[in-house]
Amino acid sequence: MAASYAETPVTNEFAQGRGYVLPEYPFVAPPEIASGEVSHHPIVIVGGGLTGLTMACALAGYGIRAVLLDEDNTVGAKGASSRGICYTQKSLEIFQRLGIYERIAAKGIQWSVGRTFAGKDEVYSFDLRQQSGYNLSSQPPFINIQQFYIEAYLVDRIRQLAHVELRWCNRVTAFEQNNECATLAVTTPAGDYRIRADYVIDATGAHSPFRKWVGASVTAKKGDDRWCIADVRFTHRPPTERHTWIEAPFNENRAVWQHLMGDDVWRIDYQMPPDADPEYVSREDVVRDRLARQFGADCQVEIVWVGPYAYRSECIDRMRHGRVFFMGDAAKVVSPFGARGGNTGVADADNLAWKLAAVMKGRAAPALLDSYHEERHEAARQNVLVTNRTARFLRPAPGIEKLFRDAALGLARQHVFARQLVNTGRMAVANSYTSSSACEPTGGQSVQNVSFQWSDGSRGTVNDLLQWADGRLLVLVFGESTPSALARLRALGETAALRSVQVVGTDDNPAAREHVRDPQGHLQGACHVFGHAWALVRPDSYVAATGESIDATLVHAIGKALGALEESE
Amino acid sequence: MKTALHLQDADAFYEQLLDAHQGLSMEASELLNARLILLLANQVGDAQVLKECIEAARQTAPE
Repeated sequence: MAASYAETPVTNEFAQGRGYVLPEYPFVAPPEIASGEVSHHPIVIVGGGLTGLTMACALAGYGIRAVLLDEDNTVGAKGASSRGICYTQKSLEIFQRLGIYERIAAKGIQWSVGRTFAGKDEVYSFDLRQQSGYNLSSQPPFINIQQFYIEAYLVDRIRQLAHVELRWCNRVTAFEQNNECATLAVTTPAGDYRIRADYVIDATGAHSPFRKWVGASVTAKKGDDRWCIADVRFTHRPPTERHTWIEAPFNENRAVWQHLMGDDVWRIDYQMPPDADPEYVSREDVVRDRLARQFGADCQVEIVWVGPYAYRSECIDRMRHGRVFFMGDAAKVVSPFGARGGNTGVADADNLAWKLAAVMKGRAAPALLDSYHEERHEAARQNVLVTNRTARFLRPAPGIEKLFRDAALGLARQHVFARQLVNTGRMAVANSYTSSSACEPTGGQSVQNVSFQWSDGSRGTVNDLLQWADGRLLVLVFGESTPSALARLRALGETAALRSVQVVGTDDNPAAREHVRDPQGHLQGACHVFGHAWALVRPDSYVAATGESIDATLVHAIGKALGALEESE
Repeated sequence: MKTALHLQDADAFYEQLLDAHQGLSMEASELLNARLILLLANQVGDAQVLKECIEAARQTAPE
């Protein structure tokens, strides 16, 4: 078989040395095969990658039953491949809620300093710890860790929580849907069967078969940029920092990325000539030559994994088709720059999980599910836009585009402003929602996992409050409130799936039994409000709305956030 | 002359700039650049700033 580029960083790879040992999960013959009956499940998740497993774990956390079908019996792609490595603060906050953050933090590498070079000159550097936005969360700006570790932690957690049945070696071969239900045909080593579902989550990745099955349209763009990853361990003189080169003298003036992951493995990602031959660039002697040019002829490296890849940019036009919700790479594929792939899949799952759970429990109207597309498609489009810009900077078209890059790099060496034109990737952020039917114009922003004090003085975090709310909306009322306002709030809590907390300063007198203290105003800042205010926080740690007095605006916002209001007002 | 970042959205501007050149011959691109410089210079107006910009552009030697 001819070698070819993977369209995401997988396959055509080789591993050696200690490599990686991936966990394997047992295949259990599904009961439908023996019974011959078609079973019915409220939710079927297809694909056990980062996104599908996050979805499964989040649903399990809300106590919602689901079945997950995965076509092989391990995490990670076949072979010991690496794939995603960089996880954002928002993803880490989500993983904290799911109960796997401590394991990620123990295995992964925290980083905040990045330096960018052109030739020998540093043209740009940043320290995320110095950026005020990042340092208030209980989670760091980023952690680098091999994707399959997170997937394995999710599997362990899902098994612990029960509720979700993981079916390994179950490959979906056909799909149809009608007004009654969706039906999936599944093939396994023990035979074939069919399964029905009310809702289907497509988390099958960049080669999703569901796109064809539902007739989804996709906006796509493909380029000639080629890269080759070498994941290596140094036995001698390892690098010390995360560096990127736009023009690396040791790589024919092409780009190079260098960053550390778990197990002392460094990912060195080399830009190759346009349309370079994948077989040649991933040959071991060629890879070793490349490493020697960068780290010196005497460098001693163990190659853990090598993988050439090309990227494309794709975005599905509708993230919901009837009973099917597309998420992760099944919904959009972007270049790896800025860590906007896996992290947005995690956010997709976190966004839909609470909504589905609320609908299943009868706390929200089914119309709420449409806001998944509105919110996450806006995020997907934004991520496609941003990563395409980076790709264009890193692989400018010959001629004027290259000329402008030369000019930008030349100016950046001397003038601060031009460094902002140097685009090696704009790191993923928690995208804001500006056109969601579930958010008021005052809401739509992510809430960081900041700290406050419980009424007994002990430390709490936003995630603790969300856990206490247990899948319900959370109203935070800041400042001293009148008894009548708090009575209105209590009454609201009796009619809607809602919990409320009063948030007061050190010297204020709380009037509500449920209250916390916010001595430094971090909670208030995280909720994007000032002074006397309320913030309606959703289970995915986004504000649905904010306001000043506890009146009809809050009632309206709650209705919207639960999908209960028509768009006609 | 400002040397700190003054652009409201540097990435969007850069993209717009490249998009404007798409499909043009090198000659047509050069002409577009020349027109653009003159337009932007008129926005700046200040003679001293323009002089410093011209000097800075000349001094930034390409590698």
